[in-house]
Amino acid sequence: MSSSEITAATESVAAVDAVRAGAVRLDQVTHRYGRGGEAFTAVGPVDLTVPSGEFLVLVGASGCGKSTLLRLIAGFERPTRGSVRVSGTEPRPGDTAGVVFQTPRLFPWRTVRGNIDLALRYAGVDRAQWPQRRAELLARVGLEGTEKRRIWEISGGQQQRVAIARALAAENPLILLDEPFAALDALTRERLQEDVRLVAERTGRTTVFVTHSADEAVFLGSRIVVLTKSPGTVALDLPITLPRGDIDAEELRSSREFAELRAQVSHAVKSAAAA
Amino acid sequence: MRLRHVALPVGSLLLFLVLWQLLAASGTWSETLVPSPAKVWDAFVDVSTTHDGVRGYNGTTLIEHLGISLRRIAFGAGIGVAAGVVFGLLMGTVGWVRSLFEPWITFLRTLPPLAYFSLLIIWLGINEEPKVTLLAVAAFPPVAVSTTAAVAAVPKSLIEAARALGGSRWDVIRDVVVPSALPETLTGVRLAVGVAYSSLVAAELVNGLPGIGGMVKDAANYNNTPVVVVGIIAIGVSGLIIDGLLLRLERMVVPWRGRT
Repeated sequence: MSSSEITAATESVAAVDAVRAGAVRLDQVTHRYGRGGEAFTAVGPVDLTVPSGEFLVLVGASGCGKSTLLRLIAGFERPTRGSVRVSGTEPRPGDTAGVVFQTPRLFPWRTVRGNIDLALRYAGVDRAQWPQRRAELLARVGLEGTEKRRIWEISGGQQQRVAIARALAAENPLILLDEPFAALDALTRERLQEDVRLVAERTGRTTVFVTHSADEAVFLGSRIVVLTKSPGTVALDLPITLPRGDIDAEELRSSREFAELRAQVSHAVKSAAAA
Repeated sequence: MRLRHVALPVGSLLLFLVLWQLLAASGTWSETLVPSPAKVWDAFVDVSTTHDGVRGYNGTTLIEHLGISLRRIAFGAGIGVAAGVVFGLLMGTVGWVRSLFEPWITFLRTLPPLAYFSLLIIWLGINEEPKVTLLAVAAFPPVAVSTTAAVAAVPKSLIEAARALGGSRWDVIRDVVVPSALPETLTGVRLAVGVAYSSLVAAELVNGLPGIGGMVKDAANYNNTPVVVVGIIAIGVSGLIIDGLLLRLERMVVPWRGRT
């Protein structure tokens, strides 16, 4: 097949899917690590479609393959079987999604500003626009005035904020977050959860968020998918219709609906892990 | 704290001088074997100044001898360090390059510089070329080895983070691999300069004058022990100063060392 034919084929598939930017589609995805007798199936088979603009939270006990699923969507891994599509094309690291990892993974030889600037450079942003874009990004995660700080001079929560700002720099239509707040204290975690939800609501980006916390899932998601234990498959697919927007975060967390949903998700996670 | 950091080193130096003086004065060994501190001081003044129409040692003052040697080290170690960094980067990133060169570098590293100096003399004559080459060959392995190890140990998580931001393969090498390997590489550089320094006398064994190592060798030929001691002290002190400067440079260039 010539490259023009491949392009044409990809385009027609994209047309059939009627994909919008940032939409994710997993078809019968299985992923296996290793070969032969030592092979270990981490995920699958999974069918999952994430429409553009959705905030999907993947929940499951540790080792259920939820991080692997995220790595497949990010393009760090190719599925052993099945297909992964983001915005209708095969995902490639750096092209399709902004990624926030469990640890900030900032570059210690660069300042806060240097870390953001590197992301802007890789995203191909014109250098003249850097100061403005940098200021916007830092303001969005509440880090104004920290530009000159060294990475080890700011707190773990602030580091993860820089990581989020960095992931937003390329303005990818899809953002992937892999248990980004697991290592933070409860107060910082709740604050960052509110901020991430605001960012997602304001920018309208598709978001896939991995966590093992039912509480976090219900607070953030517009939809929750619970995975079974490894190899992870979809155990529960639950739309969340809690009131959003202006409602106070404290009020939301203490509402009865919130408590009920949290109990439901928590129960699903436990029975999925035991099954 | 102050006492421990200033008084103890100074005290041990004074004690050493006193013991030296006592030993020299006791007459157990002849003056040729153990010259007194005063004799060494006289020699120091002699080789540092012009007196009786003679300039320093063999027409060159101590500081000039040292300067010429330092220039040789700068050239030689400079070439060795540059080659070491290039090889280290290649060997750390490309597996087969490492397999290809690592045995040779290990072999080179085990050889004392004096072992290949004769060969260098045969190949390159007795002027600057064999000296600078010897220092380069001596400085090369430590940098190559430490850079290789550092590059191979670059955290995969940071490489992945850079790729997730859209960095190309080259971007990743420039923005992640090189800075991440820098602290270890600089340690290798300090090591390399140390090795080059300790090879200095060997490098200047043949036709080493002017040069501090050549001065030591030449003075030894004439049983001029005070000048030998002056030369040894000059090499030691300047070595300490250079190591201190490199350490400061390291702290300046890699302030993140030990903080990740």
